[in-house]
Amino acid sequence: MVRRIGPIACCAIALWCAGCEVRRPANDRARQQVLYTAIVSDPQTFNPILITDAYSSEILGDVFESLLRINPVTVLPEPGLAEKWEIAPDQKSITFHLRRNVRWFDGQPLTARDVLFTLKVIYDPKVPNSLRPGLLIDGRPLTAQALDDYTVVMRLPRPFAPLLYGMMGIQVIPAHILEPIWKAGNFNHAWGINTPPDRIIGDGAFKLTRYVQNQFVRLTRNGDYWMKDEHGGDLPRLHGKGVQIIPDSNATYLRYLYGQIDIYAPRAEEVLAIREKIKSGQLHGQLKEIGIDTGESFFCFNRNPRHYVKNGVADPRLNWFTDPNFLRAVAHLIDKRAIINLVYHGLAVPAVSDISPENKLFYNPNLKDYDYDPKAAAEIFESAGYHMVNGRRTDPQGHPIEFNLTTATGRPESDQICAIFKQDLENLGIKVNYQPLEFTTLVEKLDATFDWDCVLMGLTGTIDPNEGSNFYRSSGNLHLWNPDQKQPATPWEAEIDHLMDLGAAEMDPAKRVPYYWKIQQILHDQLAVMLTVRRKEYVSWTDSLEFYQPKVWGTYKPEWMQFKVN
Amino acid sequence: MSAPASALPRLQTAAGATLVRGGLAREWRLASRTVRASAVCLALFYLFAALSPVFAPYDPTFQNREMPDCPPMRPHLSAPSQWNQGLLWAYPMRMVDAEERTYAPDRTRRIYIHLLSGGHLFTTDSPTQPFYLMGSDGLGRDLFSRIVYGARVSMCVGLIGVLITFSLGLIVGALSGYVGGMTDNLIMRWSEIEMSLPSFYFLLALAAVIPPGISAAQRFFLIVAIMSFIGWAGLARVIRGMAASVRSLPYVEAARALGGSRWRIITRHVIPSVIGYAVVAATLSIPGFILGESALSLLGLGIQEPTPSWGNLLSQAEDPQNLARYPWILIPGIFIFLAVMSFNFLGDHLRDRLDPGNASR
Repeated sequence: MVRRIGPIACCAIALWCAGCEVRRPANDRARQQVLYTAIVSDPQTFNPILITDAYSSEILGDVFESLLRINPVTVLPEPGLAEKWEIAPDQKSITFHLRRNVRWFDGQPLTARDVLFTLKVIYDPKVPNSLRPGLLIDGRPLTAQALDDYTVVMRLPRPFAPLLYGMMGIQVIPAHILEPIWKAGNFNHAWGINTPPDRIIGDGAFKLTRYVQNQFVRLTRNGDYWMKDEHGGDLPRLHGKGVQIIPDSNATYLRYLYGQIDIYAPRAEEVLAIREKIKSGQLHGQLKEIGIDTGESFFCFNRNPRHYVKNGVADPRLNWFTDPNFLRAVAHLIDKRAIINLVYHGLAVPAVSDISPENKLFYNPNLKDYDYDPKAAAEIFESAGYHMVNGRRTDPQGHPIEFNLTTATGRPESDQICAIFKQDLENLGIKVNYQPLEFTTLVEKLDATFDWDCVLMGLTGTIDPNEGSNFYRSSGNLHLWNPDQKQPATPWEAEIDHLMDLGAAEMDPAKRVPYYWKIQQILHDQLAVMLTVRRKEYVSWTDSLEFYQPKVWGTYKPEWMQFKVN
Repeated sequence: MSAPASALPRLQTAAGATLVRGGLAREWRLASRTVRASAVCLALFYLFAALSPVFAPYDPTFQNREMPDCPPMRPHLSAPSQWNQGLLWAYPMRMVDAEERTYAPDRTRRIYIHLLSGGHLFTTDSPTQPFYLMGSDGLGRDLFSRIVYGARVSMCVGLIGVLITFSLGLIVGALSGYVGGMTDNLIMRWSEIEMSLPSFYFLLALAAVIPPGISAAQRFFLIVAIMSFIGWAGLARVIRGMAASVRSLPYVEAARALGGSRWRIITRHVIPSVIGYAVVAATLSIPGFILGESALSLLGLGIQEPTPSWGNLLSQAEDPQNLARYPWILIPGIFIFLAVMSFNFLGDHLRDRLDPGNASR
């Protein structure tokens, strides 16, 4: 034991010293126009249909294109491979007109055949992919048909608005290369990470040129890319990209300080350090607040009878966690201001609605937050029959209130948020046992054994709320408080299910808004999730990088990025 | 434990006998300055542990959410005319920048520090107008109070751990060495198995299966028990060797010839002859327990927040960002360092006094 603490302490001190002094080497990559970034882990595949991890999609996003792309400023669809699209008046078919000047890396033109092939592969039950569920409408596939080489019509069994956003995630693959492989039944092994990078034939702004496992991915500019700038100049302007694979976030931060990577998204404490270093001239870079977290972080109480009802006897905890008064009182005990100041150094905002304000289309701004007010909470407890007995808060049946609080290990922020929450509950006589769990153990408890009471969780956000179906719908596997229900257990869950159906069936975004506003209102009133705060997101990048416009939903006009040449 | 303790006055080694007969005053005179300093250090830390509510100015779990990561404050001596308000005072800290968490002393006001008031050694009128001797942590809790309460865990973990290891190792080792034969063989093979377990990973695995819902005190004793369970085998093996060599000495043979029972011979003759070594080994193994607890708590598997221990206090300093901005969060590390060094000096000194045969000098 004596020997083991040493290395840890030494490491910390060594890192600290390394962080004190910043020496940035002259950036000769700028002259070569190569952008260096970092990802946390190796990509798992180079096959865009088989992607399951964020890192593969980050790399392949530059290599393959979709019919539509998202405008990260307006959060609306904009033309990608399809230069325009039309929705039929009955809202049951969409016609996509493909660009005529798109070529694959091997010189073959991109045509309707490639689009049809991509859909065929996604619907093939032998190809396991996460795209298929988003393309099934009431369990049925859509039918696609090529009117000519550059026109595709997709027919839907009923109007289905999320399709446009779904199309943004579907990268078209070359039929002339992959169709023979698919017919031979080898699609699931095609384009794995061991494929020589020059055999990956895409149509995006960059080509894969080199991949060394655990080290880096190199991409080079596609000279034949279809997009041109305002003056008809070639895009992209960068000549290449180098993506380094760095598993440790402290190491990534230090590499950014040393100029080995050009773009970095710092955490709250790092924001302050970077700001200081820029001010003092130690770091030649930009720091920009790009907006707030598009996801959410919340406390959730388990309301799953499968956990609490044993041999026909319900555990008292089920009564507390389904009692609106109990939940309302607890909601008044979340000190969001303290979380913002203590945990995020003021770089966060209180979260009120389940959908982030960054989602300008669907965010409901009319909800009133549950203010931090221990006095009000105590009054609610008292009037609902939760009295103090011998220094412990007890329920009307005389059970002292005590529950387990958990979250995933390894995030100091979560520990602190839980410590603040626990303190406020204990001030009112509620005993909380805090026990963080390793991530896989936690996930198993959340979706298999249901053996938990209260959890602090984070979920990522989506632009189209329908993509959060697995969270909102009572049948969803991420419907944390009571997942995979056969029938909605409560009237309000049934209402959310119904609103989700209505929202998906309406094509006009403006007409969809009221449904999703109502869902946010219901979640807010029923306190299925008690939101904490949303981080402000920052990006820092090296000074010599021009036209870089990061937004919370992605980079705006990434093809315009370039290095200043002195 | 009662058997070896009652055997103490009968120590067989000459040095041991002097130690007991000579009394503490004589020992103090004989000790070097380092050893005296170590003894004072340890006495102070154990006082912290025994009288935490007195030494700590505030509740160690009280979160002053307005003052996270506040730097240590400097006490000033009051003018004699103000001694009725407090002998010492300090400028209150005011947060200048909430994002950067920089503080500046507010020179327009004073906080008076009351000595020996309200059952505390020193404190201020209210925890919301605090005097932070060693600064505050990220949740605005007084670091000094937390260190004082943390001594309960960190100083006791060694004592209790050693008590368990020591009694297990001594009895099992002496029995094994004196009885010999099949018993010896079985016990020694078992201890070898135990010693071959990769101890830290074993500790991690055991710490992970401690159920939630048990109180901080229960958790603490479980962790100590786990650590002792791993640690006794080494001591038992050495004791066993010593006991085996004592077995054939004339005075043990004589006791046997006079019809002494096996238990009586072990407790009255075998254990006293090895106790000198065991005391030294025990003292020197306490730092191992202190560091073991720190390591587990640092990794989040030991004592859980909000109960403080020196190890989990130090875990805040893991992040290089925190360490650079708020260097005072390393103070618990200084306490660990002092405690460990003190035990080592004291152990070395005891070895010189009790076990001259193995003396380092």
